[in-house]
Amino acid sequence: MSDDIKKDDQEQAEERALSVFSSEKHEDLTALVFCLITVFLVLAFTKWFV
Amino acid sequence: MSSRVSQNMPLFIMSGVLLVYGLIVQTGALQPVMEALKTHKTMDLQGIMCLVIAAIGLFVATVNTVRAPGNTLADRYFLNVVGGIVMLLVLAMVIRWYAEPAVKIWSKAMEPVLGFKIYKILNLNYVVLGLLVGVVMTNTIGIPKFAGPGVKCARFVLKMGVIMLGARYSFAELAKLGVYSIWLIGVFVLGTVFLVLWLGNIFKQPRTMTGVLSAGMGVCGVSATVAVAPVVKAKSEEMAYTIGTILSFGILCMFIFPTIGKMVGMNAVQFGAWAGTGILNSAQVAAAALAFDSVDIKTLKVAEIFNITRVLFLPVIVLVLATWFGRDSGQKLSFKTVVIDKFPIFIIGFLVLFFMSSIGVFSPPSHYKGKFIDVSYNDRSQLNGDERATLTKAIADGKFTGLSEEQMEAVNDLDQQHQIAGNYEDRQDKSLFDEQGRARMTQLEGILAAAKGKVITLDKEIQTVLKKAVKQVKKTSKTVTVLTDCMIWFFAFGLIGLGMQITKKAIFQAGGWPLVIGGISGVTKATLSFFVVLWLVKDVVLH
Repeated sequence: MSDDIKKDDQEQAEERALSVFSSEKHEDLTALVFCLITVFLVLAFTKWFV
Repeated sequence: MSSRVSQNMPLFIMSGVLLVYGLIVQTGALQPVMEALKTHKTMDLQGIMCLVIAAIGLFVATVNTVRAPGNTLADRYFLNVVGGIVMLLVLAMVIRWYAEPAVKIWSKAMEPVLGFKIYKILNLNYVVLGLLVGVVMTNTIGIPKFAGPGVKCARFVLKMGVIMLGARYSFAELAKLGVYSIWLIGVFVLGTVFLVLWLGNIFKQPRTMTGVLSAGMGVCGVSATVAVAPVVKAKSEEMAYTIGTILSFGILCMFIFPTIGKMVGMNAVQFGAWAGTGILNSAQVAAAALAFDSVDIKTLKVAEIFNITRVLFLPVIVLVLATWFGRDSGQKLSFKTVVIDKFPIFIIGFLVLFFMSSIGVFSPPSHYKGKFIDVSYNDRSQLNGDERATLTKAIADGKFTGLSEEQMEAVNDLDQQHQIAGNYEDRQDKSLFDEQGRARMTQLEGILAAAKGKVITLDKEIQTVLKKAVKQVKKTSKTVTVLTDCMIWFFAFGLIGLGMQITKKAIFQAGGWPLVIGGISGVTKATLSFFVVLWLVKDVVLH
């Protein structure tokens, strides 16, 4: 059991070394949300309200 | 407090410099320099970007100085990372607005002496320059402490770039590419996986190592490595070896592929298909495609389609490797868990934007990189009075000679309808009307090409009128143009950061057997795909 916890910690630490996010899933989701916000803003200023 | 001031000094300085630069740009004092560098069209963008980033940088530096750093969400995701983000942005700006144009001018000036353009031979565009700056910086002075957390955003921002790329695709286009790409990619992905597994067996490497390496070499590099690692119970150092091997091999490919592509005279589609098949890491695929041709994004698009198609094989590979690894795996992992949890969400994001693009949210569904043809009646597409008079007079005077029946019909219709369009009486049937208009546009383009090739003689004045008519119906979606700009900035930012992750240690980590196995399978795949692409993929895949 303690080995599992240690392993999880190690995996988390490795992930942290590559990214500011706690997991790749969070990173991907944040990237997706940021992109959708960007798309919405671009659509607003180039298509909808022009 | 004083230590916090010194810690935040780099951010204060960078923001201050950006503020001053932004204000100078706003006064227009730098216009002569920008005109010399041919960057004057970006003047407004330069001013606004610098002022906004300076404001954010100064705000964050002030907050970080006044208040002791904590461990809140705001600290972790915003206050700590802004320093590094501003540094990468400053580097990206210097490269895009100064270094790249300067290298181009210098390369052009050296051409009479050297006999070739260094810029073209070494692909010294902003992508390669950015990567080189990253690699040199991390291996010499190292990543400054204040920038560490921000540089870790590079992978995240690269993913944003890949997601944004979806806005440039439309289903009609992918369908054209589908037949080739799916067969080509499928054969090469599975072929590489089995080749690596076989080589691993020959060289007596641990099954965990070959398992994770086969996925990395076969599918898409780092994300495949991460996805497959739990299935084959790979250790972290094996993942590091795999990533090191993939990145080292990819770096070589990134520089060699564009050079070979140019030497053998590949076209944009062929190079895109080759890079998308032969290079592993999605960021490196993008880098090679942009290095081959940074103006015509067609190369990047095709490379990404091939790359993305390959990523879609990930679930299949996970299944294959899970089966191969067999029941040895002590850890019980259901196939569903592996696929649902590990399938890269940013690829789903790419598909979401692709879907929006395909249903016409950004531009008509048939668009290609935001460009589309609109031959419907439109006041803005009409020729003006003088142009019409010139055309009518040219027809009356019999200036059009040597034209085919269809070409003459297109000219007469342009004269009657004042713009390129279908038959007036068929205007209710949109698809027929569109088809007729496009056919006329093609005929007019044929006349212009014949005049250019001196097959027929046509006054310059008349050619100008025809060119104007063709140009009027070729539209560009502003939305897609702006989204593409965002994508290019995301890539520029991310690639500098990616370069900063390539340390000497990471390159040496790939040493030994993994590098041998990776090298053999990578070179085999690159060589085979080179010939297959030259043989199978033609320019007509994309219109």
